[in-house]
Amino acid sequence: MMRNWKSSINHIILLAYMLVILYPFLFVIFSSLKADNVTIASNPFGFPTEFYWDNYVNAWVNAKISTYFWNSLYIALLCAVVSIFIGAMASFAITRMRYAKLSLFFFGLITVGMLIPNNSLMLPIYLLIRKMGILNTHMALIVPYIANAIPFTVIILAAFMRSLPGEIEEAAVVDGLRAPGIFARVVLPLTVPALVTVFIINFLGNWNEYLLANYFLSEDALRTLPVGMVGFRDAYQTNYAQMSAGIVFSVVPVMVIYAVLQEQIIEGLTAGGVKG
Amino acid sequence: MNKALRNPITYALFLLPALILFVMFFIYPTITAVYYSFTNWDGVSSTMKFIGFKNYTKALGDEAFWKSVLNNGYFIFFSCFIQVPLIILFSLLIANVKKLRGFYKTAVFMPSVMSTAVIGILWSFIYQPEIGLMNQVLGIFGIDPIYWLSEQKYAMWAILITNAWQWTGFYVVMVLAAILAIPKDLEEAASIDGATGVQRAFKITLPLIMPIVSVVIMLSIAGAMKAADIVLVMTKGGPAGSTDVMATYMIRYAITNFKYGFGNTIAVLIFIFTAIITLVYQLVLARRSERIEY
Repeated sequence: MMRNWKSSINHIILLAYMLVILYPFLFVIFSSLKADNVTIASNPFGFPTEFYWDNYVNAWVNAKISTYFWNSLYIALLCAVVSIFIGAMASFAITRMRYAKLSLFFFGLITVGMLIPNNSLMLPIYLLIRKMGILNTHMALIVPYIANAIPFTVIILAAFMRSLPGEIEEAAVVDGLRAPGIFARVVLPLTVPALVTVFIINFLGNWNEYLLANYFLSEDALRTLPVGMVGFRDAYQTNYAQMSAGIVFSVVPVMVIYAVLQEQIIEGLTAGGVKG
Repeated sequence: MNKALRNPITYALFLLPALILFVMFFIYPTITAVYYSFTNWDGVSSTMKFIGFKNYTKALGDEAFWKSVLNNGYFIFFSCFIQVPLIILFSLLIANVKKLRGFYKTAVFMPSVMSTAVIGILWSFIYQPEIGLMNQVLGIFGIDPIYWLSEQKYAMWAILITNAWQWTGFYVVMVLAAILAIPKDLEEAASIDGATGVQRAFKITLPLIMPIVSVVIMLSIAGAMKAADIVLVMTKGGPAGSTDVMATYMIRYAITNFKYGFGNTIAVLIFIFTAIITLVYQLVLARRSERIEY
């Protein structure tokens, strides 16, 4: 009896916390279906009495969501794939090849990258991108995104590869494989669980990135979703119903990915302790 | 055996792409940031002068800069003294319930997978004075509308609350995993000895999760020093610079005002401050919480 009562208190506190987390989303979904600011103001908490789907159509057109969406998607995917590939090669060399001392040094060096507050390198990187002549093209995001993901990728993948037993290579060497073959046919397939985790984390990081995307691109058609959404908010600031529909559009893809890959996302993000 | 895995050319080819990118985007920018921090370069013209520590004395003598440092301090203070106790409380509560545990975990973590920019937009709407959720809720209790983002005394609070809303769940899940990893027999033994739930939480669970709490504090400090996008999206540092953090102060000078050299000075100062805080924390607090083995 006592026990039940106690666990109810726990649930009441936790449900209050859930309300704080989830209600803002409901508020946005409800608002996105209301006609205008007046309707939102007169019935802020409740379900809309009349569904007003036009907001979604207008937001899709006015916010150019389709353009931003595809820009974000292909940049985030491409960078996530390339950085795990480069990261996996480096991790293989560091953990499985026989250059222990040199590897220890390189691994240490790359780990230092995790300690550098990367926002503060934004200005020199801006300059570098300008010197490379790729400012205001998608390459201005692609190259730094790949580079920024490398320390985290190498740390996680190296830890995973190090834990693989040494016998697997011995067998591969006996079969006549050389280093690239061992990497591609033996180590990489075994690393898939870690690759998936790192891929998701890198993808989400790129998908959500705002600072570089905001300052390194000025052409509207090149923008990514977070920057595009802020621009849309600034342009249609007075139409909250339409803005809510825009928010829904930009949040839904991440929600779907999260619903499907929840376990890997939580595991990966908390393991790496990377933020935003 | 060793031959296949001891080939210098293969080793170099495997390592080089990562190393080149790392040097280009971590080492080289760090060095140039320090270099330009001693110049008056505007970022575009072909001439510049070395001006010694002038940028540094200018930054350290600027009240607006110290305001931004203070705001980073508020971020740290808010995380350590308001968020961390809540994180521990919520993770203890979730660990102690069986029903709905999966749902709680999924829901609390959700905001941390979303873009900070979009969350900033969402919360600007919530803070909107006339129709936003915040004032509507406060209105029920008879509180007059508050201009959250346009009044100096509320704007920083508004940002800190949004930041906490986004990240609390992330850390709750981390701490929860640590609590669930504690062997059950420890709790059971204490329970047989007559310890109450609260006593068990304070005497057994809490000491055992201190290492992870220490990690949470470290990550919060690192996050606080990096904070920028949430401020840019919600207030752009305003009203009147009252919500500027070091990173937004740096961006304002370097990109908007063409003071590239001075901007880099701020970058170097962010480095130094972050290093000092991390070091102090490690020396003073983290030493007590060594690795725990069961």
